[in-house]
Parts: sequence; C-alpha cells; structure tokens
Amino acid sequence: MAVVLLLFMVPLVSAETGKELVENSVRFDGATVTLRGEVIGVLMRGDSAWVNVLDNGVPIGVWCRADDAENVSFVGDYTHIGDTVEVVGTFHFACPEHGGDLDIHAENFTVLRIGTVVERTPNLLAVLLSAVLVAVAIFTVFWLRRIRGERSRIVPWPMSWT
Amino acid sequence: MIPAVTREDLKIIGYNLGKICYVTGAVLFLPIIVAVIYSEFDTIPYFLIGSAIAFILGCIVSHFLYTKKEMELKHAVCMAALAWLLAPILASVPILLSNATASGLDACFESVSGFTGTGLTLTLDIDHLSHSINFLRHFLQFFGDGIGIIVVSLSILGKTEMSSVLAFKGEAKDMGMRPSIVRTSRMIIKIAVAFLIIGTILFTVAGIKAGLDPGTAVFDGLNHSMTGYATGGFSTHSQNLLYYHSVWVEVAAIVVMVLGAINFNLHYVVLGGRRREILKNIEVRVLLFMLLTFGLLVSANLLFTNFYTSGEALFRKGVFHVISAQTTTGFQTVSPSQFMLMWPVFSMVLLSAAMVIGGSANSTSGGIKMLRVGVLLKSFWGDVKRALLPRTAVVREGFHHIEDTPLTDTVIKGAAVITISYLILFSVGTAITAVHGYGLEDSMFETSSALGNVGLSCGITSPSMPAMLKVTYMFLMWAGKLEIMAVFVLFGFVILGLRKGIKK
Repeated sequence: MAVVLLLFMVPLVSAETGKELVENSVRFDGATVTLRGEVIGVLMRGDSAWVNVLDNGVPIGVWCRADDAENVSFVGDYTHIGDTVEVVGTFHFACPEHGGDLDIHAENFTVLRIGTVVERTPNLLAVLLSAVLVAVAIFTVFWLRRIRGERSRIVPWPMSWT
Repeated sequence: MIPAVTREDLKIIGYNLGKICYVTGAVLFLPIIVAVIYSEFDTIPYFLIGSAIAFILGCIVSHFLYTKKEMELKHAVCMAALAWLLAPILASVPILLSNATASGLDACFESVSGFTGTGLTLTLDIDHLSHSINFLRHFLQFFGDGIGIIVVSLSILGKTEMSSVLAFKGEAKDMGMRPSIVRTSRMIIKIAVAFLIIGTILFTVAGIKAGLDPGTAVFDGLNHSMTGYATGGFSTHSQNLLYYHSVWVEVAAIVVMVLGAINFNLHYVVLGGRRREILKNIEVRVLLFMLLTFGLLVSANLLFTNFYTSGEALFRKGVFHVISAQTTTGFQTVSPSQFMLMWPVFSMVLLSAAMVIGGSANSTSGGIKMLRVGVLLKSFWGDVKRALLPRTAVVREGFHHIEDTPLTDTVIKGAAVITISYLILFSVGTAITAVHGYGLEDSMFETSSALGNVGLSCGITSPSMPAMLKVTYMFLMWAGKLEIMAVFVLFGFVILGLRKGIKK
C-alpha cells in the first residue's frame, strides 16, 4: 500500500473531467491529461491491465501496468464504492494500439482514496407493503377458487394447472 | 360496414390481458433468485410488490371479464397492442422502487425499451446497479422480444389453438412454422434457449479472455447473451461492450446478434437438415448484401475522414456498428458523445438507414425487415425489366423464402404499406426530435434507433431529455415492435367505440 496516497496529502493539480475529455476528444488526442474518478472495472491482461474509471457518469478506459491495477482494492458496484484514482497519461480518441478505443495510456496511476463497502438495508416500508400485497394476492387466488365452485371455470390460472 | 364495439369485445380483450398479467407477475418473480445468489436481500421486496400487483390485477381482470368466447383477429391485434403497454407498466414497478431511474416515466421507458428489445436506457447508474435489477432489465428483453410474451402467455394459458394463432398475428410473429401453435411455441423456446446457452458460453469464454473473473464473466455472459439474441442491446455496464476493450467479446457479440436477426423459420428448416436454404433464402441474401454495402461504405467514410485508420479499428468500430444497427441490437463500442460530436454525418446517416431497414421477419429484430425490402427490390427490378423487354414479353417474378413464392401484387402492397408507415413515423419522430433543438442527423439516428427497436444512442436519450421526447420514443418503440399496423387497428377500435358507443 506504499503507493496509496491519501487525498489530503497530495496537492492536487487540475484534472480534466471525463465529460470534457469525451466531448472534446479530438482536441485532447495525443495530449497528456489528468483524470480522477472511481474505479468501476479492472481487467488484467498479462503485464498490463484495463482499468475503467468513472468520472461524473462518464466512464473512460485506462491502459496501465498490471502492478498499478493490482493496487486497486475496491471496484465500484452495487455493494461497493470503488477506489478513487488519479491517472496521468496520454489520451487517444481512437487508439491505434487498441482497435480505435477511446482510452488513456497511463504514465502515472495513483490510488487517492480506497473505496468502501456499502451496506444495503431493506426498506421497512417496502418490506411491509410486499408482505401485505403478497397476502392479498394469495387471498385473491383462493377467494376466486372458492367462487369457481359456484361458477364453472372462472379463472384460467392457477386452477387450469391443478 | 364495420360492426360496432360490443361489451363482449372488451371482455375478450380484457380477459386475455389478464393472462399477460399472470405471466408478467411470474417474470418479476425470477430476479428474486438472482437477489438471493448475490445476497441483495434489500431488493427482494421490490420484486414481490411488482409480482403481487400483476397477479392481483390478473386475477381481478380474469374474474370480472371472464368469457368463453373465442378471439377474432381484431381482438387479437388490440390485445397484442395493449399487452405491450400493460406488461411494461407492471414490470416498471421494481425498477422504479429500486431507484434505478429518476422517475416513474423513466422506469416505464426502461421497461418499454426492455420488452420491445430496443435497448435505449434511462437507468441512472448502471455500474452501481444491483445484479437482480440488472438481470431483470436483460431478462425483459429476452422474454419480451426474444421469445415473445404473448406467445408464451397464450400458448401456456390459452384456451384454444385459435386464440394463440390470432395472437401470433397480432404480435407480428406470424410464424407458419408448424401446424400446432403449442408445438411452434415450444420450438421457439427451444431455439431461443439453445442459442442462449451457445451465446452464454461464447461471451463467458471471451469475458475470461478479456480479464474478467469467472463469476462476473458468467453473469455478464448470460445477460449479454439474452440481450444479444433478443437483438435488444442492454448491457451490464454504462460503457456497453466498450467496457471489455476486447475483440473477442465483440466477435462473440457479432455471432449472437446475427443468430438473433435470422428468421425463426430459417433456423427451424436449417436445424431440420435443409442447410442449402441459407444460401437460397431472400432474407439472408438481402442481409448479406446490406451488411456488405453498409459495412464498406461506413468503413470507407471513416477511413477517408481519418477517423479510424487501421483495419482493426475499421472492423471494430465501423463494421461492428453496422452489424449492431442492421440486426437492430444496439451493442455499442463508442461513447454516445462520439457518435454525436465526431462521427462523420454520412456514416451516421448510413447507420440510421441500416436501423430503419432492420433484420429478418419473424426474428427478434425490428425495422422494416429484410423480407419486405427484398420484395420491394425484386418488384422494382421487375418493373425495370418490363420497361426494357418487348411489350409482348411476360415477366414472372418470385422469391425464395423457405419455399418459392410468386411476387404478387398483394405481397408487394403489403410490403409497401408497412414500409410507407415506417417512413412516415420515422419522419414524424425525426421532426419532433429536431424541434427540441437536436441536429437533423442526430435526430434521424435516435429516431431510427427507437422505431427500429435498436438501442444505439448518440446521446439524446438520457434522463435529462424532455419528457415529451421520452413519450415520443416510447410510442415509437411500441409502434415499431408491433410493426405499426396493430397500433392503427387499436386506434380504429377506440375511435369506433367513441363514435358509435359500446353496444351490449
């Protein structure tokens, strides 16, 4: 974790946003850019790796060394907030090395903040409502089943399966 | 004279819609398994609520509108049109409750996009979406578009064969594949499941090769296989297939997309041993011709504008998106902003044309369909030949689609009516989009994507787009899925009821 630097310890240089990079990708093509964002994917490829970084809803693929990618502790998903990383590297709007992908080839890859686990607790109101509705649904099925005895074949399901 | 709408008509339609409610309720129950596997217990109540509402509604409607009368064609068509509205509304409940979208309208949009196999998305943060909600989005496409919710509903719960045959017509899936509708439905499900398994294996192997862990590779593989075969285009990641940065994933996608875009009848006869049918079939020929023409033109345009210069880039960006557009899938490996801000106008227009034309009839694809395009091209060529030949010469045109079929005026008229209807809706949709301040080529692109049930986006479709546009695209997706005629029949039915009243 030697490479992990806390956000407050690093004097931040101005970074381009993901939106700026994607919307002005021809202008930034070949330039050295800085991108900060949350890691939402790590794909190891031998000595290198793809790290997908999300900045304000705009994701960009970062091609970096496998050693750098291995420093990522958390990848963002439903139960995790991914590590926040800062990438300094060369931007390509159509990378000739990677089949025309829009990407950044990282020269510097720093983990600024380690991600966290997100606790997801059930919504009590939703739990109660679901219990009530399931009970009503079961009651309705059985109620209609009773009526069926009085009128032939009222409801096709689930009676037709019995 | 057209007979007035009767109460019995409404009961027949309503009673059959009850069955759609049951099946939608069952569909909403399935993601609970995924929620348990991934320990996402907080999402379970959302699915239970959605499922229970669907079951209760189904029970009530089936009870109060119970009828023993058989469906006629008008009932089947109206029922199919309404089913494609009702099922998405019910399925939007868990999406809304889980806060996956910003509003109820957005949840409905997502659900309509799912059921119709479109793939345009208004989900707020796909990368942090629960596995269960993500599975639901993908399963809606596989079940709604890949198999056909009405096919399943009526063949399992339907009373008779006749109801199901008529509903097939209403759903724009007039198969004529086998004599028994139940056997046909089973065949469709068998073909879909077989290709789902093949697709999942392909995507999983490609995902592992791309660097995914096996668990994620299987989950992503299953979901992409479902949406690929359904030519839907939803993805488990906001970057869509660009997330993987892998040519192998893109090749797997191409295989699954093309399989999905091929006519069920053709799958059936080829699997039955008539392999030469692939080479003779008019739809396959038109599909190959279109892919080759559009692929070459888009690649040449991207090359000469110095956008992509390597052969690999031209294949992975140019040809891939032509296949994605033509099969009406909507898998994407460039960001929507790149389409809107950087791609050459000519390429955008060509992709729009591919999306409007679409894949094969009786497949999971949308658009005008290859068969109709083939029929119109043959008819056009016949007219040219007639003009060149002596007046006494007799020109007999026909086409081969499973069997040799003569090119009659009725066939040509049917193809022309649908094509013209599509083009009118396309023009109206483009105009409405352009009025909201978007460029003409971007408006054409997004409209053709919605109408053709494709899902490629140049960035217009987003949670922040005007509500009017969201409603317009929902209508286009719905009308496109029903191949337009069912929508006109439903409107005619409603107008008839309003003008003449509802008779006993």
